[in-house]
Amino acid sequence: MSEAATTRRWAVLRRETGRALGAAIIALAVAFLIILFSSKTPLQAFATLTTAPITKVRTVGLWIDDVAKLTVAGLAYSLVFQARQFALGVQGQVYVGALAASYIALSPLGQTWCAIPLGIVCAMAGGALWGFLPGIAKARLGANEIVSSLMLNYVAIELANYLIRVDLTTPNSRLLSTAPFPSTAVFPALIPNTRIDIGLIFALTSVVAVWFALYRTSWGLKLRLVGHNSRFAQYAGIKEAFIIVSAMAASGALGGLLGAMFVEGRSFGKLAVSFEGNLAFEGLLIAIVARNRPLAVPVAALFYGYLRQGAQLMSIRTDVPSEIIVIVTAVIILLVASSYSVKPRAMLAAITRSSRPARTHVEAVK
Amino acid sequence: MTTENMAPLLQAIGISKTYPGGVVANDNVNIAVNAGEVHAVVGENGAGKSTLMKILFGVEQADSGELRLVGEQVRFGSPRAAINAGIGMVFQHFSLVPSFSAYENIVLGSEPRSGIRFDRRKAIEEVRALSARFRLHVDPLQPVRQLPVGQQQRVEILKALYRGGRILILDEPTAVLTPQEVTELFSAIRALVAQGRTVIFIAHKLPEVLEISSRITVMRGGKTIGEIETKDATEQKLANMMVGREVTLRVERKPYNGKVTLAVNRLSLMNELRATVCDDVSLTVRSGEIVGLAGVAGNGQAELIEAIAGLRSVAGGDIAIGGESILPLGVRARRGKGMASIPEDRISQGLALGASVAENLVATRLDDRLFARGGLLDLGEMRANAERLIERFSIRIDGPNALAATLSGGNMQKVVVARELSEQPRLLLVSQPTRGVDLGSTQFIWRILTETRNAGAAVLLSSADLSELLALSDRLMVFYRGRIVAAFRNSDELTTEMLGACMLGLSRQSPEEMRAALA
Amino acid sequence: MIELLATVFSAAFFLTVIRTSTPLLLATLGGLIADLSGALNVALEGIMLVSCLTAVVVSVYAPWYVAVIAALLAGAFLGSVMAFFHLRLKADIVLVGFAINIFASGATVFALTLATGGDKGSSTNLISKPVPALDLSFLGMVPGVGGLLVRTLSGHSVLSWLAGLLVFVLWYFLYRTSWGLQLRSVGEHPSALEAAGVSANALRGWSLVASGALAGLAGAQLSMFNYVGFTRDMTAGRGFIALGAVLLGARHPVGALLAALLFGMFDALSVVMPGLFNWIPAELIRMIPFVVTIVALILFSYRMKLTSTTFDH
Repeated sequence: MSEAATTRRWAVLRRETGRALGAAIIALAVAFLIILFSSKTPLQAFATLTTAPITKVRTVGLWIDDVAKLTVAGLAYSLVFQARQFALGVQGQVYVGALAASYIALSPLGQTWCAIPLGIVCAMAGGALWGFLPGIAKARLGANEIVSSLMLNYVAIELANYLIRVDLTTPNSRLLSTAPFPSTAVFPALIPNTRIDIGLIFALTSVVAVWFALYRTSWGLKLRLVGHNSRFAQYAGIKEAFIIVSAMAASGALGGLLGAMFVEGRSFGKLAVSFEGNLAFEGLLIAIVARNRPLAVPVAALFYGYLRQGAQLMSIRTDVPSEIIVIVTAVIILLVASSYSVKPRAMLAAITRSSRPARTHVEAVK
Repeated sequence: MTTENMAPLLQAIGISKTYPGGVVANDNVNIAVNAGEVHAVVGENGAGKSTLMKILFGVEQADSGELRLVGEQVRFGSPRAAINAGIGMVFQHFSLVPSFSAYENIVLGSEPRSGIRFDRRKAIEEVRALSARFRLHVDPLQPVRQLPVGQQQRVEILKALYRGGRILILDEPTAVLTPQEVTELFSAIRALVAQGRTVIFIAHKLPEVLEISSRITVMRGGKTIGEIETKDATEQKLANMMVGREVTLRVERKPYNGKVTLAVNRLSLMNELRATVCDDVSLTVRSGEIVGLAGVAGNGQAELIEAIAGLRSVAGGDIAIGGESILPLGVRARRGKGMASIPEDRISQGLALGASVAENLVATRLDDRLFARGGLLDLGEMRANAERLIERFSIRIDGPNALAATLSGGNMQKVVVARELSEQPRLLLVSQPTRGVDLGSTQFIWRILTETRNAGAAVLLSSADLSELLALSDRLMVFYRGRIVAAFRNSDELTTEMLGACMLGLSRQSPEEMRAALA
Repeated sequence: MIELLATVFSAAFFLTVIRTSTPLLLATLGGLIADLSGALNVALEGIMLVSCLTAVVVSVYAPWYVAVIAALLAGAFLGSVMAFFHLRLKADIVLVGFAINIFASGATVFALTLATGGDKGSSTNLISKPVPALDLSFLGMVPGVGGLLVRTLSGHSVLSWLAGLLVFVLWYFLYRTSWGLQLRSVGEHPSALEAAGVSANALRGWSLVASGALAGLAGAQLSMFNYVGFTRDMTAGRGFIALGAVLLGARHPVGALLAALLFGMFDALSVVMPGLFNWIPAELIRMIPFVVTIVALILFSYRMKLTSTTFDH
């Protein structure tokens, strides 16, 4: 690689990191203001938010467990976003994957060694199916993938609720969860007495697998070319429909894997109603902050997972509800997705600049 | 009306403009336009004409310099300000809403109202009156997407006049027109000037400039080189000022006698609205010849090329390469048979700007074992391929991993050409190879096309520029309403006027004449 | 089956359909105006949710109409936030929309906790007011059909009547005023208006604000009529269904009305069916509107693909 290209790459990396950190700082400032106005003990609350996760081995475990899940969710979005498909169906895929894994775990097979591998394979297949459906509707008919994937989320959630209540429940769980899985169907711990289990290995493997698929295979290059310019892809003889469907199915498989990681992971070990706690949608933030780059996804997940865990602990120990983290998420997405720069002066200029029409599109290409 | 010591109607003094990224588009540019004249601005692509016009129309703001209207300093912060000052602009790419009717497009943004209601009847009346007054005939009720290009342009001009434009800026208005439509446009321009309007005419076709303008400003490399009265100008003199060196646009042609490579037999095509756009078209292209497709835009040539490239389904008939039907084959398989294609819209169809140059250079050959084995990319081979092509086509670039978006327009075009010609094709499809390309690059592209032909490729060339077709083609087919209405062997007797008459359906060949040139 | 038919053709069912369709219709109109200006408003869901809570909280302290206006303003405000980030800061509209949705899901629970003093689920300890139903019982004096008129026309929410009126107002605005002409041109080919010297961004911005305001009204209807009070995530995907309804309604106000009525009918069925068919699980009945949206979207796309025409008016 020429030196100029290398330097440029580093410059881009620095700029993107700067933007992400800037956004995080602004979002934390917003959070602080909200805490200041809503809490009786604002300083204690803010301190809990920002420092609690690293105070105990147990909380570090919770944090890393979240990071593993956020990473997989972020990868699932990154994969479809790189093909420029706005499929937002990860949540539904998580539920379908979780259902599939639960059926394996609670079947006689769940008592054997193959519970985990088979559970994961079935979960990924279920998730892939849930990603395939909006994919095929988009590729064959042009049906808007945003709407169809969102609808399928609701269908999957209701399906899970129904099956948990009717088919999988145990008498004393008040219809809200299944019986605990047999130990053969629960992920072994990586570090004893923490929540860190082999889900982390799956997450890191997925990072490498997605990176490899996108940047080292011809499928990945085709996928990225479709994402960059679909007219060009058609003209170049790339089968766009196949790429769209396979990208959405592959992303669905990751969503399904995440479902298995939830229910077979040490933090649950069973299937419960509303188990994913909106984490699937937070994967959107991870993908956006990481600019859909698989290798940047775990880094973004590490930072965001920390905040997320801090917020959980804050809501337990102080009077501030954990939902504040969701507000932080929204602010970060807004800032990172927009063309703001970290320079405060430019921000101010953008805010105060008088209304001016954008450049016309005529002759934009010249 | 204007005398020597009166201030010019519109004057730009010392205009400079640097785009973010450091491209100096205008460097101390001066221009003075007098009332009631047709003032031509000529220069190669990238000479800064378009930027200057955008500044005059308020789309862009100059970094330094000033604009004066009848001697008084003005500032146009937006097109609205320029429009209010009586300036109208017709862009090269029309800004019309396709599904809206002509009158809706004309009044858009300055609609007549009664109360809060849009007064349609009044709008139609006003448009009719305006079009009669300036002899710019259009049917106000027709949706513009159904209008031919020449009429769409009239809609654009009427749009500017409707807003009370005294000064009309026409950006390369003849680029998309047939010779006959150009004649009509010129008579409309004369009518405008006769009724007190002033026209700024941007062009790079010199004969047209000499015909219509009264004064000419020449630009080169972002600077104004000079201003001359048209009566003192000659084509050669202008060309020298434009490029700063002597240019001759001629191509050497060897005789050919190859086998039939491409055979199109009784082909019918339909568009998205299920209307027939190509009807019973038959033609052949032999190895080692260039067949030119002439026709007004929208008469089926573009669709024919798309169908051959595999981007459009076929309603009837057959297309064969080397005697074998390619209809069952997809784009990739056709490319495997030795087809290459340089699309009209090279940047938006021929490139993925967000991908690297090396990736762009292999995009059409991703199933070639050279670059991908077992689904895995051979990055080393991709890089070597890129380096070879960068060298061979002298693409100016940081390195193979630079994003295509970081290249200049001319180098982007070269990337497309380099990819398509990286292996000698059997069949090359080319659309508008030099539209929007400067004289220097035009010569480069013409030379490459001729070399490819001489090396044995069958070349099918579609172009709106008739002089380009006459310079390059061995044979020419004229399209009119989806049919081939005339076919010629290229010779010195063949003129743009003869082609133009066939393109408009004014003259037709006898079947015998056509058959002689079709084979 | 007979029971179902009897229910479906009853006046009570008609009232239910109108009730369930109204928030969908208002949100669909909001989606439509944004869509026509070229900005897909995926935030309808989140905006509705914020407006639901705003309406409930304000109605505790103020008359119902003030609460409705507050919900509308909350929606308009979120619309303007979208406009700011999308148009001024050039963020992708789908991402901005989802940021709003994510914000709404958290901020409503956060605010609810503060407003109720700790309840994260619902606003049961807040005494909120409903939107009044319009009583048209005087129509009973019309000879012959009086009874029928009262049964079908009386008892709808004020906002239902407003929504019906808005269909006409929006149609008139889009196809009979010059702003409507400009708005439609922006969605189809923004540079046309730019070249005519009118700022396309300003129009887009206003249409996002209007879109938010309409979603705000939808939220008010939901939390002040369909249900009185707020529960977390009470919009339950209606904002997304509205997006489907925009497409299904062929991007036309009357089409939006028909699509909203269709989805509203399935929503109403899911309200009455548990009573009639208690052997059908509630979860599956709740799935109906989403499945219908997917099926409708697929059928609509299939038809579009067959005809491949753009719609003229």
